[in-house]
Amino acid sequence: MMNWAAASPEIFLAVAGMAILLFGVLLKKENAALCTMLVLGAFAATFVMVMQTVPQTAYSSLFVTDAFASYAKLLILAGGALTMVLSLDYNERQGIGRFEFPVLMLFSTVGMMTMASAANLMTLYMGLELMSLSIYVLAAFAREELRSAEAGLKYFVLSALASGLLLYGISLTYGFAGTMDFAKLPDAVTGVDGVSTGLMVGIAFVIAGLAFKLSAVPFHMWTPDVYEGAPTPVTAFMSTAPKVAPFVVLLRVLIGPFGHVSVQWQPIIEVVSIASMLLGSFAAIGQTNIKRLMAYSSIGHMGYALVGLAPGTESGVRGVLIYLLTYVAMSAGAFACVIAMRRQGKSVERISDLAGLAKTDLPLASLLTLFMFSMAGVPPFAGFFGKLYVFLAAVQSGLWLLAIVGILTSVVACYYYIRIIKVMFFDAPAPAFDTRSASVSFVAIASGMFTLLFVLALGPFTGAAEAAARVLFG
Amino acid sequence: MHLVLANYFPVLVFLAIALGIGGAMVGGSMLVARQMPYAEKVSAYECGFEAFGDARRRFDVRFYLVAILFIIFDLEVAFLFPWAISLGRIGLFGFFSMLAFLGVLTVGFIYEWCKGALEWE
Amino acid sequence: MISASAFFFYLFSAILLASAAAVVTSRNPVHAVLFLILAFFNAAGLFLLAGAEFLAMILLIVYVGAVAVLFLFVVMMLDVDFVQLREGVQKYAPVGAAVGAVLFGELWAVVLGWQVSPGADSLQGSPTPANMDNTHALGQVLYTDYVYLFQVSSLILLVAMIGAIVLTHRRREGTRRQNITMQQTRSVRDTLETLQVRMGAGVQELGILRPRPRAEPAEEEPRHEHAAGDH
Repeated sequence: MMNWAAASPEIFLAVAGMAILLFGVLLKKENAALCTMLVLGAFAATFVMVMQTVPQTAYSSLFVTDAFASYAKLLILAGGALTMVLSLDYNERQGIGRFEFPVLMLFSTVGMMTMASAANLMTLYMGLELMSLSIYVLAAFAREELRSAEAGLKYFVLSALASGLLLYGISLTYGFAGTMDFAKLPDAVTGVDGVSTGLMVGIAFVIAGLAFKLSAVPFHMWTPDVYEGAPTPVTAFMSTAPKVAPFVVLLRVLIGPFGHVSVQWQPIIEVVSIASMLLGSFAAIGQTNIKRLMAYSSIGHMGYALVGLAPGTESGVRGVLIYLLTYVAMSAGAFACVIAMRRQGKSVERISDLAGLAKTDLPLASLLTLFMFSMAGVPPFAGFFGKLYVFLAAVQSGLWLLAIVGILTSVVACYYYIRIIKVMFFDAPAPAFDTRSASVSFVAIASGMFTLLFVLALGPFTGAAEAAARVLFG
Repeated sequence: MHLVLANYFPVLVFLAIALGIGGAMVGGSMLVARQMPYAEKVSAYECGFEAFGDARRRFDVRFYLVAILFIIFDLEVAFLFPWAISLGRIGLFGFFSMLAFLGVLTVGFIYEWCKGALEWE
Repeated sequence: MISASAFFFYLFSAILLASAAAVVTSRNPVHAVLFLILAFFNAAGLFLLAGAEFLAMILLIVYVGAVAVLFLFVVMMLDVDFVQLREGVQKYAPVGAAVGAVLFGELWAVVLGWQVSPGADSLQGSPTPANMDNTHALGQVLYTDYVYLFQVSSLILLVAMIGAIVLTHRRREGTRRQNITMQQTRSVRDTLETLQVRMGAGVQELGILRPRPRAEPAEEEPRHEHAAGDH
């Protein structure tokens, strides 16, 4: 009849989420930290379950588990767990420590895992909605703060528009092909001489809807405001796992069912990629708020990652997967440092607040330096390899323009990353930050170790990414 | 297809009659009655006084909470209709599928109950 | 001579388009919501013509019955100065018009160049079987073939529920809440006291103006939320 086991990690995670929700509400006491721990435990168990899944298609071919899906899910779970640890201390100090926070993050993760396993445009859409709906609430979680409420509302309104575009694209595709199944779409796509306008517009709208979630230019408008307004752990969350899920689903859709018409979508991806790289590097220069700077930085990073998608080759997809892996680690680490920026019980966010950090807190300053170098793409840190693989893939396919723009904008981006390092090491010291909690230090050090030592474990990670990428072309 | 639409013919007749009567009433009074409006006659008043203020006032957000919880359960019920009429054909699996769905929403219901979102005070 | 269903298609579409235009142009937001309801009605009519009977009814129940009412709530709750809100319209109108023109152009291109994949009919996942109405057909696949999506939709509803409560619910201090257990477990002895009243003695003299202070602080602060059973 039906193969239940296929989605057992998702089912387990969802059931655990509901159990934790009931536990939290029935316990009556303040129990945010306890619930966060339980959710982390559920994440760990799910992580193990994902590693043991076997490749199969299930639920009337709505859902697929393969090496690609598993790679994405593990990355999503890791990113979610890292940012959840960051929320532990921050939420308590900001007075927003409520048990719904980890539970919403958990449901958002279930949505992302569903996206990673999507084998049908409907599954994609449902997963996307589950992911986004939880994030709207999380962005507005500090509801007493005007900025947070504004961030939630802004994200909600714009994201709803993007969902509408995506649905429009899906329905056009369905109207054209009569199916939303990834396995059957290629037949419909190749069955016509030339490509129908309807299908082309459909693909364009699907890309637009997903590019919005990726905050790629020109759908990036929401990013700086929402990043700045949302509580910092939510910002950290938004810049890790919820970037991975739409990206992998974009890879799957464009390479799988629409792989035959890559001529049609390639220019769109190229334009979006170049625009994101340019905006990400130039607009970040004038920023004074570190969260806004990270927002522009994440726009730029999505642009670099899209460079790997543009060729539509196996090595390109491998490059993207490695890029996402390093990006999640660097991002989580950098946000751990941002969360550590507290003075007299208040969270501070200006870049000038980092002045002279090297003199007051050398470990934090060196960790942040490490992340900034890695984000800038300085070898031998992790970020360098992500960029290397995607640019290599672009060059191999003769997309010289993308590679050149990528390298030039990386140089521009270096300027603002290194400016932060300069502020930390050479400016007159500002008062010291409050002592960090162990959880924040843990995330910063763990991500730091990963970023620093990635070069040593390059083989296994590249191998995993390659195995995952091969699935799409199999 | 046309068979289904034929079932809606009474609705159409009903609509036509409703529109006819409504139109006749409004149109008739427009045509037959003498219309001599002047400023005092058409001014808004409440109980003989000038209107005190704007009718639009700020509502308590609790009304909204009740309304949105209603919508969620309304949607849940919407899913029950096709299930109920095709229960005979979808077997035990379809039955338990709906039970799982209801179970998830029951979790939500317990949550909101315990949270006190249903109390009006 | 056009057929009856074609006639109603054009009728419903015309009213739908007109009322949709009225939604965005009407000055009074309450009128806008009422036009929206009219638009929903006509969309339901279109669904009906397309054979999607169940969707048509759901549109009426959920959108007209619930969502539109919620919109009215929100419009009233916002309490914003709508004249002020409209000030930006002039400024942003060109941009909006440009985006609209692009979308319209795309739609036009789609309509002109529409070409359905030759295999489209055979690829359909679950075509409506003959001799079966739309609601039955939905019921046949929704809970079995599409069980995964069905359960994900329940999670979406759950998240919506949590979100609504997290963002709007707050415990108010200083309000009384009914606590049924406390009411039931109270005994008469806690609240009533029988005193022998001497002849000519005033209430002040006997000190029975108010209940005697007891060990529980709940009794002393009538505003405390656990003191509900008093009345």
